[in-house]
Amino acid sequence: MRVTPRLFFQIFICTVLVSLSACGRSAGSSREESGGQNSKGPSERAEISIMTITPSTPPASDDNVIKREIEKLTDSKLDIQWISNNVYDDKLNITLVSGELPDLTYISDPFGPSFRNLVKQGAIWDITPYLKDYPNLQNGVPEVAWELTKMEDGKNYGIPRGRDANDVSFLILRKDWLDKLGLQPPKTTKELYVALKAFTGKDPDGNGKADTFGLSAGIDTLTGTFREIFTGVTGSWKEEGDGLTYAPFLPEARESLAYLAKLYSEKLLPEDLLTLKTTQVRDYYIGNRAGGVIDKTGTGPKVYSPGLKKLVPSYKEADFYPLTALNGFVPKGTGFNGILAIPKTVPEDKLKQILKLVDTWLIPDVSAVQRFGIEGVHYRVENGVKIVDPDKLLKDNASDFNQIVNSIDPALNPPPANPELKELEELRSQVDAQRSKENVPDIGVGLYSPAAEKLLPDLEKRISDLTAKIVIGQEPLSAWDDLVAKTKSDPQFIQSTEEMSDAYRKRGGH
Amino acid sequence: MDQAETMTDNHPAYRSKGESMSKRTYIHRLVRDIGRNPYLYLLAMPGILFFIVFKYIPMWGTLMAFQDYSPFAGMEGSHWVGLEHFRTFFATPDFGMLLRNTLAINVLNLVFFFPLPIALALLLNEVRSGAYKRLVQSVLYLPHFLSWVILAGLTFTLFAKGEGLVNHLLEAAGYDRIDILTNPHSFWIVITLQSMWKDAGWGTIVFLAAMAGVDPQLYEAAKMDGAGRFRQMWHVTLPALRSVIVVLLILRLGDLMDVGFEQVFLMYNGAVSNVAEVFDTYVYRIGIQRGEFSYSTAIGLFKSVVGLVLVLLSNKLANKWGNGGIF
Repeated sequence: MRVTPRLFFQIFICTVLVSLSACGRSAGSSREESGGQNSKGPSERAEISIMTITPSTPPASDDNVIKREIEKLTDSKLDIQWISNNVYDDKLNITLVSGELPDLTYISDPFGPSFRNLVKQGAIWDITPYLKDYPNLQNGVPEVAWELTKMEDGKNYGIPRGRDANDVSFLILRKDWLDKLGLQPPKTTKELYVALKAFTGKDPDGNGKADTFGLSAGIDTLTGTFREIFTGVTGSWKEEGDGLTYAPFLPEARESLAYLAKLYSEKLLPEDLLTLKTTQVRDYYIGNRAGGVIDKTGTGPKVYSPGLKKLVPSYKEADFYPLTALNGFVPKGTGFNGILAIPKTVPEDKLKQILKLVDTWLIPDVSAVQRFGIEGVHYRVENGVKIVDPDKLLKDNASDFNQIVNSIDPALNPPPANPELKELEELRSQVDAQRSKENVPDIGVGLYSPAAEKLLPDLEKRISDLTAKIVIGQEPLSAWDDLVAKTKSDPQFIQSTEEMSDAYRKRGGH
Repeated sequence: MDQAETMTDNHPAYRSKGESMSKRTYIHRLVRDIGRNPYLYLLAMPGILFFIVFKYIPMWGTLMAFQDYSPFAGMEGSHWVGLEHFRTFFATPDFGMLLRNTLAINVLNLVFFFPLPIALALLLNEVRSGAYKRLVQSVLYLPHFLSWVILAGLTFTLFAKGEGLVNHLLEAAGYDRIDILTNPHSFWIVITLQSMWKDAGWGTIVFLAAMAGVDPQLYEAAKMDGAGRFRQMWHVTLPALRSVIVVLLILRLGDLMDVGFEQVFLMYNGAVSNVAEVFDTYVYRIGIQRGEFSYSTAIGLFKSVVGLVLVLLSNKLANKWGNGGIF
């Protein structure tokens, strides 16, 4: 076939026309859609875009029933971007650079450099002066969370996502194994060692094979938790004299490394410690291989029990046994998990609409929607108690909405569905009550030091790499001493410590 | 007629004349050529636009390497710091480590991985049965289509110290378990072997295509002269591949500063951090995770400049040695 210029031209025009018409159609249809929404009047229904994380795949769809119900009750139209929690920080950083933040954006680390930069440049609304008009914001979020999320200028640049300050990740051991081996739940790291040793050597699952071990945990969780247990300090900063000192460099922190190296060399920890992924860490417990994990008490029925019960029918929910404290230490939560920030690109009127949305959302009747669902669909009322259908709630991604607004009102906790869960709930409230007396808060949260901001990410990485090597026995403890000595004489480190101490004193210490 | 003329213009023999041509006559001729073949240029428009919009315009973003870029202030508002970021980067103690790791992984790659597809293609070329050859080829291509995530998972399953299959077998056979994945001494080797396993088969495609283009008369003539299989391979097949090998080598040298980010990132763990951190993972850590955009752009720019210099240099050498570079 001879290709004439005319044919070329015809093909080209066709291509152009097709692509143009495709563009035209999509543009036209979206205009139509927004036209439809506008007809309801912007003042009646606030249109608010939200970006937050989701642990679920697939995320809640746009016509999700829970979302519809919340929109109805808060009189809003929500445009939610659900981002997988594995990639959220990357996505957020890129969004921060683009400068086009959604109206309500979940900031995972309100003291991270990128967010702090935006605040400094005036790109984020200071919501402090407005808060008094929204009472539920004060009631639905723990006081400590409002306090701790203040920037160094003492102002709040976002609504903290409330969390129960007693609900922290700590050691959890299998009670059925402890009972079988005739051991009491450990109270000290010495007793813990004995228990873990028995889990490994004394065949707690009774199958005659040496296929069990003590504790399954990822390397960073493991070193972090045990450093805190040994130093008795939550987070990285310890009050000493009238200033602060960097906790990972305390002599007790070194002891924790020696302790973990011993656990590893005696095979009480997973052998592939450094290369484990989060799911593998959990699989060891679920697969009847490990006798302990480091996690929150509430994860038992959600993550671990369903799988383990299939393998071990005698396993009960309350066998997921949280240790109250070790060596008298248990960390205290900060009462928040990230904040929801509102960019300055939003006009003041809309800012008020957004605050109103969250305020309304925190009313127990509204928050109840994502906890219990809709009557007749997700729950039924029996003797005045709401009986929920967990599978149905899960299917409709109900708990995902906690990633936007999460009320800490205990009345919103669903009642335990069966006696086993009731037993676990009682155990949990007992442990939490005890923990709330002993727990140690993180005094470093929100303290700002420009030098530390520059130095710490790098230093933390060096520490994390070296501790990993020491735990698996690749480097001797003397390598740790070298790092500590070298860093302590680094002028930047000295300046960081001084600045953190200053910031701490300025806040008035507590 | 037009086509014939264009061809002679591009012919190497005429190139020197074209290069000495002044800019004005060049534009003049371009305009004349557009007048003659308007449809061809019209057809090329979408492609040209694509490159302008998605490749050339974004290149302005590179300027942030010389700024203290702040997202809020934008490119116009951020203030200029000159070569500050480059100075900081070269002064950091990490620089030597990053350079060493990147070069080591790439040199290993060049020495062990690069010749492998050539050898494999030569072997495949000698297979007599067509059906068998096609089968082997397909099997060899397959690993290329596995993502790095899957490959990393496979590596863990096979070589993990505690749960890995290889170590289970070793133990059953009475040997000691070996530590491969958390061992700084074996990391580079693991990375190289992974690349070889994944892409050696895929790399043969280009060479097999070049071999298919060899005139059979050459082989016949060689046979008449008494050349055996090896002699034919040495004197006919390999010389036919020479220009392809040189072109690929030049392109490969341009990537000397790049290491596949995914691969290294997935195999990374605390124990191998000293040998596993390369420019690409460093840029990710500093740029995306810590939000130091200008600094990481500067590192990226440094990498690209080194790559460009290497390509130009090797191309020049190839031309000098009479092998015909890529341009």
